[in-house]
Formats: sequence, C-alpha cells, structure tokens
Amino acid sequence: MPSRNEPAPTTNSAPDGDVRRLSRRGLLRITAGATVTVPAAALTGCGLFDRDPDTPPAPDPLAPLLAGALDLAARHEAAAAARPELADRLAPIAQAHRAHAAELARVIGAAAATPTATAGPTSAGPGGADDVRGMLADLRAAERAGQAAAVQACRAAPAARAALLGSIAAARATHLEVLT
Amino acid sequence: MTEALAAALAAEHAAIFAYGPIGVQLDDAAQKQARAAEAAHRARRDTLVVLLAGEGATPAPAEPGYALPFPVTDRATALRLATAIEERTAAVWRAALPATTGAERAQSLDALTDCAVRATRWRRLAGTAPATVPFPGRAG
Repeated sequence: MPSRNEPAPTTNSAPDGDVRRLSRRGLLRITAGATVTVPAAALTGCGLFDRDPDTPPAPDPLAPLLAGALDLAARHEAAAAARPELADRLAPIAQAHRAHAAELARVIGAAAATPTATAGPTSAGPGGADDVRGMLADLRAAERAGQAAAVQACRAAPAARAALLGSIAAARATHLEVLT
Repeated sequence: MTEALAAALAAEHAAIFAYGPIGVQLDDAAQKQARAAEAAHRARRDTLVVLLAGEGATPAPAEPGYALPFPVTDRATALRLATAIEERTAAVWRAALPATTGAERAQSLDALTDCAVRATRWRRLAGTAPATVPFPGRAG
C-alpha cells in the first residue's frame, strides 16, 4: 500500500543514483503523484473507502414524518383552493405543516423541502355542503394518521428531538379540533 | 427527569388555582368547559404526585395563592387567562419531553397535547384567529 511516509520508489530517482539532490518535499510530491495513478481497487483494502460509495446513507428515521408534513400541507392547500370559504380555517393549518416540514428538514439536515405532488383531495370540485363535509372528513382522517405518526416518532426519539416532535404531534391534535 | 416533572407539578397547581376565578366569569357552556379543564389538571396533578413520591422525591404542595398575570373581570379576560394557562402548562410539559423516556415521555406528550387542544378551544370561544399555533408549548 502506498504511503506518503515511505521513500519514493527507486524508479523515481535519477538513474545515476543521485537521489540525495531531491528534497524531502520533492519526494513527497513524487510519491503523492504516484498515489493518484494507483487504481482505486488497489486502495479498497487500506480502509480509505470502507463504505461502498454506491450505498446511500441510511435514511433518517424522521424522513417519513417530513414527507407526511409536506403531504398534509399540500392537502390543506388544495382544499383551500377548491373551497375559498374554508381558506381562513385551512390556511393556518397548511402554514403550520410547512413550518413543521422546515424544522424537520433542519434537524434531519436534508436539503430544503420542496412541495411535492401528492394525492390530495383535488377531485373535490365546486359542490354543495356534502362536498365540504366530505373534504373536512378527509382532512381529519389525514390529520389523525399524521398525529399518530408524530406520537410514535416522539416516543421513540432521542432527547434532542423529543420536544420538536411533541409540538408537531400536539399541533396535529389541535388541527383536528379546528376541522371539526 | 424529577426536576422537569416537579416543574410540571408546580404548573398544574397554578392551573387548578386559575380556573377558579376563570369559571365565575363564564356562562354555562363555557363554565362546563372550564370545569372539565380543571378536572383534567387535577388528574395530572394527582398522577404527578404519585410518580414523584415513587421516585423518592417530595412532591411540592400547592401555594396558598397565586398572582394572576392580569385581573380577571369579565368573559374576555377569563378566556384570555384560560388560554394563557394552557399555553404555559403546555410549555412545561413540552420541556419534560427531553427529560423523560418510555411511559413518562408518553404521559408528558399526552399532557402537552391536552393543553394544546384546550388552548385551541379557548381561542375559538374567544374568537381568536387563528385558533392554533404551529408549535404548541414552544416559546415564540
């Protein structure tokens, strides 16, 4: 295995054996240059690349909760767009889910969360009171599932994440209250 | 953990006290809600007393009286205080989450959630919009 501390290979020294004229710095440069040409496969036994670069890091346990927050936000936004008379109630809830997603992305260390296409209740067109009731029932079901997921995450979380997850779980319970 | 739960007990004592002056300013329906809230805080208090005693701590008794943050003279100030009490109790239970694990973490989360839901109910009764906050129990 090549090492920067080993003497330069003799092939790099002058043929007349005048190796002493090469400074130590020069030796290091030469050796470093030689290292680059070594096939990567030769290095796998050196501990430099213990992790297979093709294997992505394990996903954060909060990744599903982040996706869920974005989905909930999208559902409320779609419902508010379809029924503007509900916007006053739904917009603050959607904003809360966006705020949750931002905080989750921050603690996960993920890239800024972007809205994703979701299977929101986009089929709800203009209709009567029954549609509104059905839409609110769908939102309640989604919030209830999201709340249960946040409760599980909070219970299983390390101390550093427990308070944030507790607030998210509690917030989702209050959303149910407003959607009733 | 004991310290966080002792803080929760102190907050529950104060909440129970506050619902006295709150209740007398409310009409029947809201008064019923205040009584239910007070009962919930008493139940949390009793659980905490048992829990702390079980850990060898001496649960602090309630103070003889508590200074209210503002005078409660009518329905509006009563609803405002009820909301503030629930927000404050929520904050104390939230602070207990990192300090606890297992059953006590679950219990603290239940308490935080109940306080947050009650705060939302009081805001709705008061006509406060929005009736929810993004991070119940978190300052700011």
